[in-house]
Amino acid sequence: MDIVFTAATVRYAGRVALHPLDLALSERRIGIVGLNGSGKTTMARLINGLVKPTEGSVTVDGLDTVADEKAARGKTGFIFQNPQHQMILPILAEDIAFGLKNRGLAKAEIAERTEAILSRFNIAYLARRRVHELSGGETQLAAIASVLVTGPDLLILDEPTNQLDLKNRALIERTVASLPEQVIVITHDLALIEGFDRVLVFHEGRLAADSRPAEAIGAYRKIAAC
Amino acid sequence: MLNALDIEGDSPLHRMPVRGKLVLLFSAAVGLFVVSDLRLLVPALALSAWLLLSTGIGTGQAFRRTRFVLFTVLLVAAANYVFVSPHEAAVVFCRLAALVLLAAAVTATTGISAFMDEIARLLTPLERYGFVRAADVSLAVGLVIRFVPEILSRYRDIAEAHRARGLPVRPLTTLVPLIILTLKDADTIAMAIDARGFRRH
Repeated sequence: MDIVFTAATVRYAGRVALHPLDLALSERRIGIVGLNGSGKTTMARLINGLVKPTEGSVTVDGLDTVADEKAARGKTGFIFQNPQHQMILPILAEDIAFGLKNRGLAKAEIAERTEAILSRFNIAYLARRRVHELSGGETQLAAIASVLVTGPDLLILDEPTNQLDLKNRALIERTVASLPEQVIVITHDLALIEGFDRVLVFHEGRLAADSRPAEAIGAYRKIAAC
Repeated sequence: MLNALDIEGDSPLHRMPVRGKLVLLFSAAVGLFVVSDLRLLVPALALSAWLLLSTGIGTGQAFRRTRFVLFTVLLVAAANYVFVSPHEAAVVFCRLAALVLLAAAVTATTGISAFMDEIARLLTPLERYGFVRAADVSLAVGLVIRFVPEILSRYRDIAEAHRARGLPVRPLTTLVPLIILTLKDADTIAMAIDARGFRRH
């Protein structure tokens, strides 16, 4: 799926969070790195219309994220830094089903798709668990399942391995690597994006580097060392 | 009371439609407050207890779920015993305890999702006249139930942080950060609702 930024700029209360960005993304695995406050989350949120460009435009598969907001958002799934915040209903299976119910699907299909997505991520045993009681790794998997059940073509993950132990970090790395969907990962975990197709480095609201992982990570290390 | 406390089962209450259960609960609430005869209230309390246990919840779990409210009911009854009469205390206890147990039985047999659907259906007529957005109200109810444990957990964290710093846990110094952090979370949650396409308009 093609994501195109055309002079996309974001300003918050007069401060520029993202300077005019011209970019086209179509790779299957894209990493975004940068120091805190560098504009990487703002850039990612532009993709599914959570943030609107102050100037310029962003299109997802040809759909403008402002003019065709709903359709564009339907093509992208977003996993927040704290995935607990996006689990809206108390029981996991009900939370997953709720996303489908809002799309007007029949009960039988909702049940079938909920079961299928839980099995896909090997978390069927968590179906009746309360979401606030899930561990960090379980919450990440549950959040990914709850977003992918609606069938987006693109999944954006904001720091998915943040605060996870080594075991759960490896689990999320394997999961991300196995996803057939296009994936964009914002992360400080450089190991996670080593095998990616393309890595973008943001610094002070600008795209500072854009290349294969090894070169981009090198550029990021230089920025971080300054 | 509906904090994901429903248990799977096939009891008569499980099979009863959500609307039927809410009507039953509402009628029981009205009925129990009209009646003051212990010959009716004691059997009503026994029936409520039986209904709760018939859900397959188990005595221990049933007690754990209702003990806090029942303790409060007991305090109210004790106050009536001291200030009014022993008979009035018994009436108040039977009346409120019966209602608590019946509500717990409804809770144990009703999933939050089904409950939200019913709220949305009940409010749909009001939506036609532009008074409410039924789906939003049901979503709000779901959110309240979902995030109560989060807020409690955050309160515990703040209280623990106070203790770790050797500070006394005072309402003002715990509630202010709790409110600020909760409001901050609310922004992210609102964004997540949009991101997941939960609102239809």
